[in-house]
Amino acid sequence: MSLAMYDISAVVDKDLLQGEVREDLTIMVGGQGGDGSLTIIALLSKALLDRGYSIYRTSNIASRIKGGHAAAFMRASTGCKSCLGDKIDFLIAFDTEAVQKASSQLAANSVVVFDSSREALPPGLVPETALVVPVPFSRLAVRVLRQDLFKNSLGFGLVGRIIGLPDEEIEACLRNHFKKLSATELEPNMRALREGQAFADTAGISGNQSIVTLPRKESQGERVFISGNHAVAMGFMVAGGRFFAGYPITPATDVMNFLARNLPAIGGVVMQAEDELAAINLVIGAALTGVRAMTGSSGPGIALMQESIGHCGSAEIPIVIIDCQRAGPSTGMPTKPEQSDINMLTRGGNGDFPHIVLAPGDPSECFEYGVLATNLASRAQCPVIVALDAVCHDNFTVPRFDLAAVEIDMGKRISASELAEIDEYRRYQMSADGISPMAFPGTKGAMNLVTGNERDEWGRVTTEPGNRVRMMDKRARKIETVKPQLPKAVEWGDSAAPVGVVCVGILGGVIQEAMDRLEKQGHRFHGHRLRTLWPVLQDTIDFVNQHEVVYVVEQSEGAQLASLLRSAGAQPENIVSILRYDGLQYTAGEMMAALIDKERQTCPRPMQ
Amino acid sequence: MSKTYAIGHPIWCAGCGHFGVQAAIQHAMNQAGVELHNTLVLAGIGCSGTVQNNVGAYGYHSMHGRVLPTAIGASLANPELTIIAAGGDGDGYAIGGGHLLHGLKRNANLLYVIMNNGVYGLTKGQDSPTKEVSVSAPEEEPLDAMMLGLSIQSTTFLARAITSRSDQLNRLMLMGLNHARDGKGMAFIEVLSPCVTYNDTYPQWMKKAYDVDADPEYCNTHRGKAFAALYDLVQQSRIPIGLIYSGNHPSLQSAMVSEITPHHALDQEHSERVSKHLDKVLSAYAV
Repeated sequence: MSLAMYDISAVVDKDLLQGEVREDLTIMVGGQGGDGSLTIIALLSKALLDRGYSIYRTSNIASRIKGGHAAAFMRASTGCKSCLGDKIDFLIAFDTEAVQKASSQLAANSVVVFDSSREALPPGLVPETALVVPVPFSRLAVRVLRQDLFKNSLGFGLVGRIIGLPDEEIEACLRNHFKKLSATELEPNMRALREGQAFADTAGISGNQSIVTLPRKESQGERVFISGNHAVAMGFMVAGGRFFAGYPITPATDVMNFLARNLPAIGGVVMQAEDELAAINLVIGAALTGVRAMTGSSGPGIALMQESIGHCGSAEIPIVIIDCQRAGPSTGMPTKPEQSDINMLTRGGNGDFPHIVLAPGDPSECFEYGVLATNLASRAQCPVIVALDAVCHDNFTVPRFDLAAVEIDMGKRISASELAEIDEYRRYQMSADGISPMAFPGTKGAMNLVTGNERDEWGRVTTEPGNRVRMMDKRARKIETVKPQLPKAVEWGDSAAPVGVVCVGILGGVIQEAMDRLEKQGHRFHGHRLRTLWPVLQDTIDFVNQHEVVYVVEQSEGAQLASLLRSAGAQPENIVSILRYDGLQYTAGEMMAALIDKERQTCPRPMQ
Repeated sequence: MSKTYAIGHPIWCAGCGHFGVQAAIQHAMNQAGVELHNTLVLAGIGCSGTVQNNVGAYGYHSMHGRVLPTAIGASLANPELTIIAAGGDGDGYAIGGGHLLHGLKRNANLLYVIMNNGVYGLTKGQDSPTKEVSVSAPEEEPLDAMMLGLSIQSTTFLARAITSRSDQLNRLMLMGLNHARDGKGMAFIEVLSPCVTYNDTYPQWMKKAYDVDADPEYCNTHRGKAFAALYDLVQQSRIPIGLIYSGNHPSLQSAMVSEITPHHALDQEHSERVSKHLDKVLSAYAV
């Protein structure tokens, strides 16, 4: 078997093997489903995480590619990023279609590794200045290993060389990835990997003769590479959450899967319900017994849960709800991100009832709010919703969560010994802070009635007007009581800038990156990301009212966030909306363009 | 001991069948010796959805149709409790019909009582899924929950009683409560409980009732034979009452791998074992 017949030295000019240092690299791997795009991305992520890089990986963007096509994307950089780079720097394409799909997004100096087994790359698809490396992955894998399957490992061997990874790191990474395979199963993968490296040798790509180099970075401390879904579920579990019920729905199913894997080992229960109505009511049943309980869904499922959420607000039942928002309305675009459940989460349901909506911006906050929501639900005895956007399925590199620092607040619970000291127990007893101590079935001397009808302090149904007003006011007071514990907005940028930019969720990181880059071009903005959506906190209203113009950037056609802010007291004339609802996520470059475009239209005075 | 809420008085019309159902539930609780503080009575929405106020235990008024999932959630979260769920035929067979299928399928340790009067009494007389001759949809057949229950392989206790035959009702209610408390699974009892105001079916139902308990030929431990017998009886416009089926199948609780932590243990949950597990889970994401 000679590899000489595939000599690509003619293609890869020795001058290009300068190992150009790149510290911010966006990579796409595309092909037919089953080609193993995800495997190569996973291997590359691991290899670059080991080198000290931060990885942002998105799966959602993959369904941009239709039909049998699948693609995976990642960005390696030196700081935590919330989006891909503006352009694809490195494309590994298993077929022509993958190149066609990526074509418009390829960077001028991109590297395109193309599987040339079936055909040569048609002209005109990649920028003239891009470097194309045709490699017959599939033919090589079949010829050497008799199976097309091994082209991933082969591809990784070659790609690792192209980005300047030492052979021992490439090999260690592959071994680690396939650690569950037996030695016999691993062996052909290792051979495939070496074939890939041998192929690189024929092209002179080795050692410091790589196309790009990603230098090893200093240790960043202990880090985790995790999605928002897993992080929020982890937070719930660490905060003592022990009961979860859900119904499968994209993109929230991962929360249920995570907990089904991890909760039973510590005495928890995970139930897959027959529908979302059952899911939230199973959770209510668990919460009635004093267990910390949670459900999770996406927009359509949350819509079904609306009555129950209001019921928990009325009946003062502590539950946590995760909403992994997706593009609506109706079934919408299940795999596409949006922030268009804000109306429903903040103002949905019949009647007026206390509840809280938190909105994390990255997996660190997802973890933090998984804990906080569980504590707040107990403290305020009401439903607490955690609203995730694309952060739910995207993986970020963040500092390892400090489990030992987590504090558990069980709220006001009355014990048997405390009950022995009092004459009478009333479940809905009036109190200055609106919170009445809870007692649970199994406790002597604390029997009570829980109902979604209006009721008196004992839980007996009544429509007496005076009682009605006292009870409504008592429930509303609970939110005032816990308000100091609700996360305030984070702000960045130039606080003296006349233009403010308000956003929520994953957009915070994207806007921050866009603003950093715009600042270098002389554009000044002041950024503000809400972390509590309901109740709307005063700091956000003040922010809007203190700037001449505020761009409210959000992923919804209906400007739901802007509308929420207006109704909470923000000056309507200050607000200019930047809306996106095409199902795609912003890159920082797109965000820069959107901000500059709006600035041209609306800026109160010319920018310096 | 602290005083708690004053036990409520039934709000039903004079002559309502629900009085008998409540009496049977209380009789069963007394006979079984359950403690009020260890009992959670959950009820749905409708006339029947007030029974939880009248027995002195922990009471929960669920949302319309959702009493069964709530009861299952509570029974899983604290298996030490005695769980009694109650509701009407509209609550259990119409708006909550989907949950009934899955409740029967899951076989959680609880007693579920449906007070079937064939009508929506609280909203003044609309037809329910068990109305025999529906005015709005005369071509529809009434739903038979016992035959439905028999068709699901994991049911373990199916019974139907009629409120005016209190001896049989009391006996079945106590058997059902013990079935749930003994960890055998869900006892499902439908009580024919006529609405004297909107669907006074006492005379028809008494005439049509066929007591399988009194039939030596009837086999309540064989699912197939019971189903065939019920089918024939229904074809003859009879309403089978009595212990329809009793069998064995692992309960939801016994089938769950997890050892459930009751709330009172949760405060001490941060044991070394839990911390170790949590740390291990997180370490899978470490880079």
